Amino acid sequence: MKESTDHQPSYDALLHENNRLKKINAALIERVEAGAAFNTAPYAAFEHAATLADQVRERTEALSVAMSELRETNHALTQANLSRTKFLAALSHDLLQPLNAARLFTGALLDHNLDGELKHLGNSIHRSLQDVDSLLGTLVDISRLDAGVIKPDVSCFPISDLLDNLAAEFQQLGEMDQRQVRYYPSSCVVTTDLVLLARILRNFLTNAMRYTPPHSRIVLGCRRRKKAVEIQVLDQGVGIADDQLELIFEEFRRVHTGADPQDRGLGLGLAIVEKIAGMLDHSIKVQSIKGCGSMFSVTVPCVEPNTEGVRQGLVKPMDHQALDLSRIWVLDNDPDICTAMVSLLTGWGCQVEAFQHTQALEQSLLQTTDHPDVIIADYHLDEAESGLDGVQRLQQDYALKSEVLLITANHTSVLRQQARLLGFKVLNKPVKPLKLKVTLAHLVRQQRVKA
Amino acid sequence: MTPGTDSKPVIIAMSDASDAYEATQELTSMLYRPDLCGILFFCSAEYDLEQLAVALNSSFTGMALVGCTTAGEITPRGYDQKSIVAIGFHQDYFSLESSLIDQLDRFSLSDAQTQVDQLIHSLRKRSSSYLSGRCFALTLLDGLSSQEELVLVALNSALGNIPHFGGSAGDDIQLAGTHVFYQGAFHSDAAVLTLIYSGLDFEVFSTHHMQSLATKLVVTEAEPDTRKVIELNGEPAAEVYARMLGVPVDQLNPKAFALHPLAVKLGHEYYVRSIQQVNSDLSLTFYCAVGNGMVLTAMQPQPILPDLETRFADIEARIGEPLITLGCDCFLRRLETEHLGGLSEASDFLTKHRVIGFNTYGEHFDGVHINQTFTGVVIGKKVVT
Repeated sequence: MKESTDHQPSYDALLHENNRLKKINAALIERVEAGAAFNTAPYAAFEHAATLADQVRERTEALSVAMSELRETNHALTQANLSRTKFLAALSHDLLQPLNAARLFTGALLDHNLDGELKHLGNSIHRSLQDVDSLLGTLVDISRLDAGVIKPDVSCFPISDLLDNLAAEFQQLGEMDQRQVRYYPSSCVVTTDLVLLARILRNFLTNAMRYTPPHSRIVLGCRRRKKAVEIQVLDQGVGIADDQLELIFEEFRRVHTGADPQDRGLGLGLAIVEKIAGMLDHSIKVQSIKGCGSMFSVTVPCVEPNTEGVRQGLVKPMDHQALDLSRIWVLDNDPDICTAMVSLLTGWGCQVEAFQHTQALEQSLLQTTDHPDVIIADYHLDEAESGLDGVQRLQQDYALKSEVLLITANHTSVLRQQARLLGFKVLNKPVKPLKLKVTLAHLVRQQRVKA
Repeated sequence: MTPGTDSKPVIIAMSDASDAYEATQELTSMLYRPDLCGILFFCSAEYDLEQLAVALNSSFTGMALVGCTTAGEITPRGYDQKSIVAIGFHQDYFSLESSLIDQLDRFSLSDAQTQVDQLIHSLRKRSSSYLSGRCFALTLLDGLSSQEELVLVALNSALGNIPHFGGSAGDDIQLAGTHVFYQGAFHSDAAVLTLIYSGLDFEVFSTHHMQSLATKLVVTEAEPDTRKVIELNGEPAAEVYARMLGVPVDQLNPKAFALHPLAVKLGHEYYVRSIQQVNSDLSLTFYCAVGNGMVLTAMQPQPILPDLETRFADIEARIGEPLITLGCDCFLRRLETEHLGGLSEASDFLTKHRVIGFNTYGEHFDGVHINQTFTGVVIGKKVVT
């Protein structure tokens, strides 16, 4: 061994250190070069897994930041949408009240034998109100559909319950406009939401009327499908070109303007149809030949006609004498509505009494055992209890035999179900005189059969 | 899921009876119920395992039972030893499916794929409303098999985004034999993979309590198959390590390993590589895979509680008070805590946060084999809708 001075390492020590560094160098080179051979060497597998986990963690963090930002944005949008829906609901409710009164007044006015000019003006007011009504209804519907407020209320009923009425209504309209509506009844019993299906068919029929020239035909009929029925509306209208077929379901889309220059549609009808059909899981079909006409249909599931729970004869066609001498009580906190109702119903031959408070109605009940055939109650009274609760209470306290018709601007299925359980009929505001008359006639007949 | 009114989501039972039959009897009185869908247990390696298997089989006929031996149990009393602790999972809140991985050295990615697919398929059949986000995986693996890394990396690929944790079975630092239990028998050179589907909120996590020091050691000679590091920085490994600690080689023992851990830095994270023993040739055997050129950083452990407290507070802020925490806690952490005199305080903490589990020879987290950590799952009380 060589001698070493105090301040200089020995040659051997340097050699040793040099060998050590060479080894470290070689080991590090080996590690770096081993790189991605992770599926064979355990240590490389660990390194691979750990690096992967590290990357996943980083991305998860980035992702969760992005997610929370999205959640905030989503929350803000939901809030905005909710307040829009609330605004529309409030707006429509406030508008529906006076509109309801106006329609009832007009109905009463037109029942008088007006001459020439007055009759013309009366009809114009009537039509304008109809337009306002349907535009408002459409706007409210689409906002409610978008907001998911409308929930289907599915029941079993004979399809004729719905189609008979629709056919009668549109046949009447068709007569005025010189269009013939042919209706082929069906005995099918369907499972769906009656109100929403009516909405779809009404849109089909309205469109058919709108796009069919005078003196041509519209057909409403059904075709049996496997465990389903396809309800079809055919027209001899202008038709739709193939490349336009997709577009007609878009909001505010009108491919043609209607035959009637007075026509005030918004182009929302088919958008609503599509949204409702999606909600009910019914399929919508459209076939069209340009210049010849179109067929719109909705396919609805069917059950055997003897299935339990089938709604019995909802509304039968008009019976003109049905209301003669019928006794109707009206409960509504709005004096204008009361006046309008009395005037309208008296015109139909009814004996009417109107009450603005449940208490007043109760007073009358105390004085007589002769109960009215029908009580028409407004759901929204300015009282502690709703019209529904009030009448239900009276029913129990006075063994009331009268049929009950509830009038409401509340379009929820919850209320409809509640009313159905109690055996009450429901009409939505604004009440159309024709519909009111048909419903009343049915209730009075039912009451007389019971008696 | 519509839990019955009198059903507890989990039932915990334990026994410190040293006789296998007696211990099993005590568990049976609480856990033999038809509404449990599976039982998970951790037992001391001191039990006569043959007797324990016979006793468990005769008491829990027809029940899905998985478990492993430990280097200490975490029971309702906190850190425990020479005991057996078991968790029964109620069928209204959980579904469990397990499978055995035997012959660990031949476990391939396609085996992993097949097993995971089968387990998921069985879970789907059990719960009609199976949702992929409601499931986590638990691995229990023979802690002396030296096969964790390759098995876990294969499983990780197959598990995809299913959160995963687990632990390697122990034997009270005897280093003689560690076992996992599946379908009525204890197995070595094997692992049990369990998928747990839960209607309750949960969060899988891993945490450690280390700070890095300046010293770096490079592995210059290693024997990957036996996890032996022969040389560090070009010199006999045990000598280099002992010099760093300032103690003679013959004083290197598990307590020293616990207090002076080494770690590999990958990305932003330090992964502790725990030393198992000093060999006569002055090499060091590790509890995890080693390789040439691996750079080890000297680490300084901190008391385990402040770190655990922070982690639990964080998780509980999200999912509320835990119903139960399944914990895989490295036995070196327990040694270190014992040495620092904090064992009873730590036990209180574990009891308070309803931790049940065991002291491991290594933990598993999202396919990575790690050492000297606390890794587990906190299961909350909220039913996720």
